[in-house]
Amino acid sequence: MDSPFNHLTLMQFCWAFLSISGFCVRVNLRGFKIFFIAVAAGLDWAVYLIILYYTRSVLLSVFVATTLVAIYCEIVARLCKTPVSVFVTCAIIPLVPGRSLFYAMQAYISADRALASNHIADVLLIAGTISIAIAIVASITNLSMRLMNRF
Amino acid sequence: MSHIPIHEAADIVSEVGRILLSSGATTNRVELMMRKAATCFGYGKTEAYVTPTGIFITVSDGSDKQTTSVQRIEGRRNDLGKISAISHLINRLQMESCKAESPSMSVTKLRAELYKLDNFKPWPAWFQIFSGGTTSGFFCLLFGGSWLEFAVAYLVGVLVTGAMRLAGMAKLNNFLLNALGAALVVIFAKTLDIWVPYIKIDNIIIGGIMLLAPGLSMVNAIRDTMSGDLVSGTARGVEAVFIAVAIAAGSGTMLKLWDLLGY
Repeated sequence: MDSPFNHLTLMQFCWAFLSISGFCVRVNLRGFKIFFIAVAAGLDWAVYLIILYYTRSVLLSVFVATTLVAIYCEIVARLCKTPVSVFVTCAIIPLVPGRSLFYAMQAYISADRALASNHIADVLLIAGTISIAIAIVASITNLSMRLMNRF
Repeated sequence: MSHIPIHEAADIVSEVGRILLSSGATTNRVELMMRKAATCFGYGKTEAYVTPTGIFITVSDGSDKQTTSVQRIEGRRNDLGKISAISHLINRLQMESCKAESPSMSVTKLRAELYKLDNFKPWPAWFQIFSGGTTSGFFCLLFGGSWLEFAVAYLVGVLVTGAMRLAGMAKLNNFLLNALGAALVVIFAKTLDIWVPYIKIDNIIIGGIMLLAPGLSMVNAIRDTMSGDLVSGTARGVEAVFIAVAIAAGSGTMLKLWDLLGY
């Protein structure tokens, strides 16, 4: 794989899109919002994969992907007249570290404490990075809204 | 603007807050919507204080007329559709009250609309159960599963979502419900593994676990902390950690049991 812009990334985009549209139905959303939320989730995962290919750093990729998608959500949610948190909540689901949590549990079961601690650290770091990215975008949006109201 | 009776206003405003909070809205949004609704009824000096388990609100119009109500919130579910529907309703109410229609007409209408929104189900239950399967199946593909594993993960997702709905009727607490869900994911996946050849169990279980992962609590905790609601932020952060622990405990117990049984 010499470039991340190929059909494999597109397929990953589609899987994230479809799984999050299923998730939206489960939390009782309806209408055309589902489409935009699913696109956000697909972009989230695709950007994560592309940045991961170029930088080989999981945390940086999570940070950049979450920041970009949070900005997308702030804009599109206002256009759809929907609360921003509804959009952001669904869009970051593919990055939530459920996978590392399971691997950590599996390592604990097979008595490999070093590997388990590794995975637990992964869980905490990824969750923290997602939080920081969302927090930064939310504060900057607040600030720019206040500035726009003043001038 | 002519005032509606203060008890009536307090009742409707706290009902709005109850619906929003019990479907998982952020604290900031609940307080904002309650204040907006009260302002529309002509009580502009309303103050609300919201925590994840309760609402305190004082409805007042600035003179000596004021009333306080406290409401305890028990069940909390993720119902994002209801949050955006209520936000739409309150924004429409604000637009209408700018045009100053007769407010006593809109009170009965508003009560009816709130009741309708509270009991509204946009999708039939079977469709929601099948979309639980869609979520876990496509997460399995996302993490590198094959099409056969997708089929198994779809089945696991459907079974777990159905079982969680049944368990939700028994009013279990959140921790136990998530532990049970994770345990069921492992049980169903391992059982299907006996019959279906050539599948790796890892991706299927991860797909199932993503159904339960505490994304909503995490995002709400961050947004609450950022908007200065430290009490709710901390409470929701702890909730997210506890859900993660519950998932790990449930799946870990079942993996170990299955190990001991020797399959």
